[in-house]
Amino acid sequence: MAERLTLSRQLDEHAARRRLGRLGATTLEPAWMALWAAPLGMTGKPPGAWLLGAREMQRALLLTGAELPVQVERPDTGIQLTGATAPTPEATQRLWLWERMATPRLWRIQALDTPPTPVWLPCWLGYRAGRKHQLTVISGLSGEVLSMIKPLVLAGLERAHDHAQADTEKTLPAG
Amino acid sequence: MEGFTLVDMTVLIVYIGLIAWIGSRFGKDQHSPEDYFLGGRKIPGWAIGLSVMATQASAITFIGAPGWGFEGGLERLVTFINVPLAMIVLIMVFVPVFHRAGIYSIYELLERRFGPATRTLSALLFLIARGLATGVVLYAPALVLSVVTGWSVNLTIIIMAVLAISYTVLGGMSAVIWTDVIQMFVLWLGALLSIFLLVTSLPGGWSDVFAFGAQSGMFNAIDLSLDPSVTYSLWAGLLGGFFLHVAYFGTDQSQIQRVLSSPSVLDAQRSLLIGGYLLIPQMLLFLFIGVILATYYQQHGLTPPEDLNELLPRYVVNAFPTGMAGLVIAGVFAAAMSSLDSALNSLSAVTVRDFYSRYIKQDASDSHYLKASRLATVFWGLYATLFAFFAGNLGPVIEAVNQIGSWFYGALLGTFLLAIFSHRSNARGAVTGLIAGMLAVWSVSSLLDVSWLYNNTIGVVVSVSVGYLVSLTSTAPRPEQLSHVIIEETAPDMQAILAARSANAPKIGREARLTRRRCIGLFVWFVVMLGLLALLQGWANG
Repeated sequence: MAERLTLSRQLDEHAARRRLGRLGATTLEPAWMALWAAPLGMTGKPPGAWLLGAREMQRALLLTGAELPVQVERPDTGIQLTGATAPTPEATQRLWLWERMATPRLWRIQALDTPPTPVWLPCWLGYRAGRKHQLTVISGLSGEVLSMIKPLVLAGLERAHDHAQADTEKTLPAG
Repeated sequence: MEGFTLVDMTVLIVYIGLIAWIGSRFGKDQHSPEDYFLGGRKIPGWAIGLSVMATQASAITFIGAPGWGFEGGLERLVTFINVPLAMIVLIMVFVPVFHRAGIYSIYELLERRFGPATRTLSALLFLIARGLATGVVLYAPALVLSVVTGWSVNLTIIIMAVLAISYTVLGGMSAVIWTDVIQMFVLWLGALLSIFLLVTSLPGGWSDVFAFGAQSGMFNAIDLSLDPSVTYSLWAGLLGGFFLHVAYFGTDQSQIQRVLSSPSVLDAQRSLLIGGYLLIPQMLLFLFIGVILATYYQQHGLTPPEDLNELLPRYVVNAFPTGMAGLVIAGVFAAAMSSLDSALNSLSAVTVRDFYSRYIKQDASDSHYLKASRLATVFWGLYATLFAFFAGNLGPVIEAVNQIGSWFYGALLGTFLLAIFSHRSNARGAVTGLIAGMLAVWSVSSLLDVSWLYNNTIGVVVSVSVGYLVSLTSTAPRPEQLSHVIIEETAPDMQAILAARSANAPKIGREARLTRRRCIGLFVWFVVMLGLLALLQGWANG
C-alpha cells in the first residue's frame, strides 16, 4: 500500500483562530484527516486538480493544482482522524461524472486512470459550547468550511476517544 | 423616434459575438485543467452574486416588471419585500443541510430521508414546473425580437428556441461569470437610461411623475387589508410571498444548483446574500420605470400595447439613441440566453441523474450519459417551446413565472420541511402530504377567490400537516434515515467527546458570528425597505 502523503498546513493558527472565531467557535485545535486524492486532468496530460474523498463521502472535495502540496514531515501536532476507507476507482469516476454533470464547464476534465493516493488533509476543528456543543471543520489548506467531511471527522473523534479510553484501561493497575 | 437602426443591429451582433468570444475564450479553451478550476476561484464574491442574479431573472425582470408597474404602480413590490427574510431561512436552514449532505440534486435528500418514491415524485414536479417556467423565459426574448423585427411572436419563439437549445447543447456559457456580470450592468444601464430619457421628455420632469403617481395611487405599496382576495396586500406579500421565495430559491434545482456547487457554505451564503440585498431595489427600479412610463403615456395621450410586456422594449427601440438600443436589446438577449442555458442544464441534469441513470440505464459510460443529457436538453427545450406559445396569455412574464412555481413548490417545500424538522415523519406521510398539498393549492385557486401569493403557504401548511398526521399511522423512520438531516454532534456520547476536546483546546476569544451577522443585516435591510415604502406612501397620500 502506498505511503500516506502529508499535505502541508497552509492556514496557521492565527488565521484559523480568526476564521473560526467569525464562525462562532470558541476553542480550536489542529487535526489531520485521512483521505484519498484522485488526479483529474486531460488524458495524456499531467493532472490539474485532485478529488479528495473516501468511500464514506457522498461528494468529494476539489483541490486545485498540478501537484499535491506535500510536506516531507509526517503530521506533527494535532489529532489524526482515521477510519475512512479508500474509494474504488469506479466510485471516483462516477463521483467525477456527477460533478461534471452539475458543472458542464468541467466536462473535458477526466478522472485520470491512476490509483488514488492516500493523504493526510490538514484541518482545524472549531468548538462552540452553547446549549449543545457544536463542531465546525475548516480546511487547513484554504480555510473553507468543510461540512461534507464533518460526519467523517465526528466518527474519527469518536474512534480516537475509544482508543484513548482503551489505552487508559490497559494502563490502569489491576485490582 | 428612431426605431431599430442598422447601427443598432450591428451593435447587437457585435455584442452577442463578443459575449460568445469571451465565453469560449474563458469558458472552454483553457490551456490547462488547472485554469478551469482556478478561474472560478479568482473571481470576487460580488461578481458571483451578480452572476446568480443575472441567471435568475434579469431578462424577465427587464421585460415584465415595467408592465407590472405600469398596471399597478408599486403595489406589487410586496411580492418581493419578503426576499431578505426568505434568504435568512435559506442561509440558516437549507444551505447547511444541503451542503453537508453532499448531494448533486436536492431531491436526493428526500430519497435518503423518505425513499425513492418521494425523490422521484418531487423531481418530476420540478421538471414539470421548471419546464413550464422555462417556456415563459423563452417567450421573453422572443417578444423582444418580435418588437425589434416586426415578425410574428410565434416565429420569433421558434427562432429563440432553436438558438437556446443549440447554444445549451453546444456547451453554453453560463458558467462564465464575467459575461453574466456585464449583462447585468448593461440591463441596469438600460434601465437608468430609460428613466433619464423618459423623465427629461416630460415637461415637469420628476415632479410630473410624482404628481401623477400620487394622484393615481401608484405609490400605495402597502395595503393593510386582511381580505385574502386582495392580491397584493402586505400580508399576502409577507406570508404568501415569503413561502413563495423560500420555495422558489430552496426547492427548485435550477436555483439551488449554484449553491450546491459552491466550494463552501460561506460562498453559498454569499450568493444568496447578494440576492437578498439587491432583488428589492432592482424590482423597485423596474416598477418605477413602469410608473414613469404610465406618466409618459398619459401625458402624450398614447395607447399602451395590448401585451404590457412590450412596454419597455418598445420604448428602448423607439427612444434610445442609435447604438444604445442595440446594446440594451443585446443585453436582454444575452441575459435570457444565460437563464435559458441554466434552466435547460438543470432540467437535463435532473432527468439524467434522478431518472435515466436510475431507472433506464444504470451503469453506462460517461459519453453515454453526456449524449443522454443532450437529448434531454432538446426534449425540455421543445417542451418549453410548446408552452411559450401560450405564455403571452399569462400577463406580465414576471408574474407568470412565479405563478407557475406557486402551483407546485409550496407542497415541495412542505416535504423538505418535514424531512429536515420532523424526525417522526416517514415516506408514507411525505408522499401523501406532497400530493395533498398540491391538490389543496389547485382546489383553493380554482374554487376560492384567494390571492395567488398564498398558494405556496397553502401548499406548505397542507403538506406539512397532512404529511405529519399520515406519518403517525406507520412506523417512525430508522436513525440512519435521519442522519442526513440531523446535526450529528447532538448525540449524547458525541456531546461528551466534544465537550472534553473543547475543554482542552486553546480559546479563540469573543468575536461576532458571521452567519448571525449576515442574517441580522438582511433583517435590517427588510425593515429599512419596508420603512421607505411606508414613507413614500405616506408622502403620496398627503
